[in-house]
Amino acid sequence: MSRGPTPKVERVVPNAFERRDPAPNKRVGVNALHRPLLWFFALLATSAVARAAGVNDLARGGDGFWVQAARFASLTDPSVRYALAGALLLGLGCGLLGGFIVVRKMALVGDALSHAVLPGVAAGFLWAGTKDPVAIFIGATIAGLLGTATVSAITSTTRLKEDTALGLVLTSYFALGICMLTMIQRLPNGNQSGIGTFLFGQAAALGADDIGLMSIVTAAVVGVVLLGYKELLVTSFDPGFARSAGLPTAWIHHTLMFLLAAAVVVALQAVGVVLVSAMLITPAAAAYLLTDRLHRMLLLAAGFGMVSGVVGAFGSFVGQGLPTGPLMVLAASTVFAGAFLFGPRHGVIARWWRQRSERGRTRRENALKAMFHLWEEDDFGPEGVALNDFAQRRRSTLEEIGVVVRELATHDLVTLDREMVYFTPAGRLRAGEIVRNHRLWELYLTESANIAPDHVHDDAERIEHVLGEATVRALERRLNYAKIDPHGKLIPSPRELHRAEHDALERPAGPGRSGGGEGGRS
Amino acid sequence: MTDAATPALEIHDLTVSYHRKPVLWGIDVAITPGQLVGIIGPNGAGKSTLIKSCMGLLPVSGGWVKVFGKPLREATGRVGYVPQRESVDWDFPVSVLDVVLMGRYGRLGLGRRPGKADREAARACLDKVQLLPFANRQISNLSGGQQQRVFLARALAQEADLYFMDEPFAGVDAATETAIITVLRELRSAGKTILVVHHDLPTARQYFDRLLLLNMNVIAFGPTEEVFTAELLQKTYGGRLTLLSEVAQALGAGANAGGGDRA
Amino acid sequence: MMEDFIPVFDFHQVVVAPWTEHLPLFGWVALMGFFVAAACGLVGNYLILRRMALMGDAVSHSVLPGLVIAFLLSNSRGTLPMFIGALVAGAVTTVLIELIHRNSRVKQDAAIGIAFSALFAVGVLLVSLYADKIDLDADCVLFGEIAFVPLEAQVMLGSWALGPESVVRMGLVLVAVGTGVIVFYKELLVSSFDAGLSRTLGINPAVFHYGLMAMLSIVVVGAFEAVGAILVIAMLILPGATASLLTTRLGVIHLLSLAQALVCSMAGVMLGVWLDCSIAAAMVLAGAGLFVLAWIFSPTQGLLQRWRRH
Repeated sequence: MSRGPTPKVERVVPNAFERRDPAPNKRVGVNALHRPLLWFFALLATSAVARAAGVNDLARGGDGFWVQAARFASLTDPSVRYALAGALLLGLGCGLLGGFIVVRKMALVGDALSHAVLPGVAAGFLWAGTKDPVAIFIGATIAGLLGTATVSAITSTTRLKEDTALGLVLTSYFALGICMLTMIQRLPNGNQSGIGTFLFGQAAALGADDIGLMSIVTAAVVGVVLLGYKELLVTSFDPGFARSAGLPTAWIHHTLMFLLAAAVVVALQAVGVVLVSAMLITPAAAAYLLTDRLHRMLLLAAGFGMVSGVVGAFGSFVGQGLPTGPLMVLAASTVFAGAFLFGPRHGVIARWWRQRSERGRTRRENALKAMFHLWEEDDFGPEGVALNDFAQRRRSTLEEIGVVVRELATHDLVTLDREMVYFTPAGRLRAGEIVRNHRLWELYLTESANIAPDHVHDDAERIEHVLGEATVRALERRLNYAKIDPHGKLIPSPRELHRAEHDALERPAGPGRSGGGEGGRS
Repeated sequence: MTDAATPALEIHDLTVSYHRKPVLWGIDVAITPGQLVGIIGPNGAGKSTLIKSCMGLLPVSGGWVKVFGKPLREATGRVGYVPQRESVDWDFPVSVLDVVLMGRYGRLGLGRRPGKADREAARACLDKVQLLPFANRQISNLSGGQQQRVFLARALAQEADLYFMDEPFAGVDAATETAIITVLRELRSAGKTILVVHHDLPTARQYFDRLLLLNMNVIAFGPTEEVFTAELLQKTYGGRLTLLSEVAQALGAGANAGGGDRA
Repeated sequence: MMEDFIPVFDFHQVVVAPWTEHLPLFGWVALMGFFVAAACGLVGNYLILRRMALMGDAVSHSVLPGLVIAFLLSNSRGTLPMFIGALVAGAVTTVLIELIHRNSRVKQDAAIGIAFSALFAVGVLLVSLYADKIDLDADCVLFGEIAFVPLEAQVMLGSWALGPESVVRMGLVLVAVGTGVIVFYKELLVSSFDAGLSRTLGINPAVFHYGLMAMLSIVVVGAFEAVGAILVIAMLILPGATASLLTTRLGVIHLLSLAQALVCSMAGVMLGVWLDCSIAAAMVLAGAGLFVLAWIFSPTQGLLQRWRRH
């Protein structure tokens, strides 16, 4: 296993004053990539050291992107294999647990917990004296659980609200961790600790032991989720019901918190303390936008988590050792943005499109309705409606009405023949329905809801487009199949329309057209 | 300042929706000054929504509201408000007197602190609701009835002409209930107009001059003795308007609504 | 190993020296700590009251990309680009969170988590890529470099040296925040307590909401280099949380949080000198210690009091 000689880390310590100078190598963070040039050449000079360095240091050879990408894909480098395995495991574990975090509305609990593990990381290191994964795992898990326990202790014994308690615990534990880390840095073996990778993550620093531990924890997470799926589901959805059904909700909660702490801790090395909560929340939230079922959501979340993990590890490799955590989080955020914008049902674009087509339908139906009114004034005669009258009625120009009529024609609702517009059978049916809905609704509002007749029109304008079949039937029953609306007009049913048309044909041409438009027709 | 002909509150064709789902349809009401009006109706009838939208706390999707003949924006300072008790955080670090003083904030300019006169006025209002001995207590150390009376004192300190009160009698003790109704009657005698959301039918009949029966729209509005009839109450509470709420559901669910030009 | 880890407590070195022979160094550090904690505390008190403590979390993280981009664009580390960058970043965060939770079914808490982690990740990557250009590094982003404050260029007023640049800047921010809190005391109070009433009184709560967010961005960015993105959250929340365990008056809470700021900055310096660790973190630790003391011993809400009552 190759772990690089971590560059010397100078910390912000009071004694550092003398060492501060304007030269660029003020301090070199483990994750700060653009190390000063001098340091870089020194590193090259001691080539044996350089060869032993981690992925990021190997990457400094000046190879192009594609060479690096190919090297990553070929998996010849053991640290690449470890990084990849780590990214997949962490994506899986965090994604699964994140699903529950999101549906239980505990997103920020994950955030607090992930910051609270830091003093445990330092304590584990102190205890073992080296960066021993198991010691760090135990220390960090305990610290994380203590952190969540502190949050509940604060909220239950004081008036402080949960958000305050979370913020308080998050930063206080984190500060303790930073104090301890900066103290470790000045220990004789502290500079070798590589413990700085815990802040922003460095997948390349993962070793075989780390991967072993990650596998165990991830297997435990998967196992618990598989075995306890229905218990987790019901306690997440309705804790009150779960308790009344005799489920041990408190234990389920504690188990979940424990797994969460464990998953966060094993992910630390790769993602870092600061951003690990995002790997819990973001992939799961993206999945939440795409499906309505919890099990599908968990699978998707795990998938997104793994993809983001791999992308992050890859980016860190080809990007000359950029910190892995931010790259993974950016990948996950991109997935989220994609789901947010392009989700087939809940996506912003899908909704915008639905609204647009809905508006289009409303526009067409309103045009049909206007045409119906003209036809009605013509006593349902066999002639079509003149384009001129139509334009006048809609208070629009001939060109505008032309556009509308063409749109109706493409939907097979009307036909246009020499300046005259005719309903198709489908168009006539739809126009009748709209007018019928409108008038039924107006009648309902005035008769049953005591709304003044002069107020009902605007409501009906909106309602007519959305009334479902069942509601229309209910309205008819309620109104005793009334035929006349509050303004004294016919409420057209298909049969009545048919009869009216028939009557119009029987009538001799001429006198019947008394109510029509003013002379526009020839 | 106000001639008797101008209604204290005039609502015309008011429609309010939550997430495009209508909660109130076509409300028309005009209330003359000096009335104590009870708003009653079943749960979900839109009672709180009505007074909140009258005060401009909720966006309105149609119609308008005028206060003393002016749009609401020009009438701030003439409107007082008693919200539901649960709407605020009672752990908030303020004393009883501080809360009552808030009623005076509207008439102070930006950046000016309440002065001695304001304090005196606030104390007088507290005295009216018999809470003067509690003036320096933190508000969480009050019973529910006392909290409600603090809100009432705050509304008094606003010295408004039109009051909206959201369930002031909900969950209070008998003593508080009597105290509140006494204050309300005093206000009415002083020519103020008060709208009270109320949920208890028997007391509604005793307390109010006029009743507004509400269930998504106005079922009836008039003097209590005319409106408080079995038939109208049945109409209000009997769910005769199931269709209306069904359609409201459809509107909320269907992504449509709103747009569309007029034929 | 433990002996190396926790150094011997040397009373003179830890308690006396910082305020005597090393005063020119630690005086500025302590003053900076006080300015940061005081300004953050005043703003944070309102965040706590409005249950927006986590907006502080969000803004403190997402100010980073704003800061870095402003530095890169202006090619300087001037105060003006810094504040502009912070305000823009604060506004973007607020809008992004609103956008996500209004337009999808993601709840607000998750929306906060998503938005700030994405912005922070951008910031960290930019810092990693351009560390040499902007003289910030990834660790400083987390916990600042308050110990370097005394070494900054002095701000000169004529021939009179006022103090290190960031201390002067933070002092001005504190004055601005303090003035804002005093001038708008009643507006902030009523809009935090009861937004509905506030509106009927003609005091628009939205104006004060956004004003507060702007103030938050300014305070956070002023404190950023000294205490970093995460410790600043403690500076926002700890003073108010401690104070509200001790009193039930907003005015007193403000005063107590100023006192807490003073104590934790001085205690932090001493703790940092003793343990030879990050002073900013030590200040937060001292503040957390004060919180724990208040939690246990508060005469009204303390744990001891609760036990005695049972």
